[in-house]
Amino acid sequence: MATRVALKANGKKGSKTSEERSTVKCLKEWSTWMMKKAKVITHYGFIPLVIIIGVNLKRKPTLSQLLTPF
Amino acid sequence: MASHVGLVPPTPAPYKDNEPKAAEKIDYLNLPCPIPYEEIHREALMSLKPELFEGMRFDFTKGLNQKFSLSHSVFMGPMEVPSQATETIKIPTAHYEFGANFLDPKLMLFGRILTDGRLNARMKCDLTDNLSLKANAQLTNEPHMSHGMVNFDYKGKDFRTQFQLGNGALFGASYIQSVTPHLSLGSEVFWAGQHRKSGIGLAARYNNDKMVATGQVASTGMVALSYVQKVSEKVSLASDFMYNYMSRDVTASFGYDYILRQCRLRGKIDSNGCTAAFLEERLNMGLNFILSAEIDHWKKDYKFGFGLTVGE
Repeated sequence: MATRVALKANGKKGSKTSEERSTVKCLKEWSTWMMKKAKVITHYGFIPLVIIIGVNLKRKPTLSQLLTPF
Repeated sequence: MASHVGLVPPTPAPYKDNEPKAAEKIDYLNLPCPIPYEEIHREALMSLKPELFEGMRFDFTKGLNQKFSLSHSVFMGPMEVPSQATETIKIPTAHYEFGANFLDPKLMLFGRILTDGRLNARMKCDLTDNLSLKANAQLTNEPHMSHGMVNFDYKGKDFRTQFQLGNGALFGASYIQSVTPHLSLGSEVFWAGQHRKSGIGLAARYNNDKMVATGQVASTGMVALSYVQKVSEKVSLASDFMYNYMSRDVTASFGYDYILRQCRLRGKIDSNGCTAAFLEERLNMGLNFILSAEIDHWKKDYKFGFGLTVGE
């Protein structure tokens, strides 16, 4: 919202360039938001993903084999 | 290029056995595929830079499957904290690290997570025979301290090329080509948006059965030369010279690498007054005992470590 207010204050520069600037800023914000979500998902989900892929092979290890260290 | 093409003789004629090996003509259309650009100093790094550590280390790898394994690792010891003063600050830390590895000819996944929440993840995927995708990430809970990088590698008949993307607007590309069966030349460019830096580098590598010599120059001011000689099946000697012409920093090191039946011993001595040694002894099938020592006479910093590795 702050970006829209700032752009309206510069309204005299020409509406076309301000629209281009706001789409670029929108894209940047959206890609930053996506990168943050991807980072959180990878942080929590990578090791479970590897374990799920490893467990779903032909010779499935049992749960007890997974949890005990020997 | 056509004038340089020599044809390899199709069938060995009886008189050929008397000719010396060097008389074989080089077939410039059939050169071997070169080593990847980032591994150009591979032999020198393996001999001169073992994973030295201080404290106690215990690693346990449990294979659950042919392709899947879990690992548990405990480390207790002082960790160095980078500081502005000349004195190194060491903080005693202890952590446990859990890891999962999945190894397939086409896909490799490697993940390690520590007790303080840091994740170290690597992935390598062969999309086609020649194109492969590698990604690695170090993620932390602290903001702005996480890194990620993605590489696309294309392997041609006698060349390799790689394109890299990293966080913080980091772009890099490298290309290496075999010029003769023993010599390969390569170059790289990188652009770091966040630090406003860019650079270009060139590298050359000459190897035959007995020795490997590499040289690398970069516009960041680094000149690195290395030479590894394989003295016998069990012994190899390596030396390394690094010079930074911007900061006038010079380091030379010389090391040895003994690969014996039950152990592997690596040692080196440095021009900074630092000597180091690293021993891995195989006590039994799957049980390895590790000793590490690094003595820096100049800074009076003495580091000794011991550890045990269980599992393949």
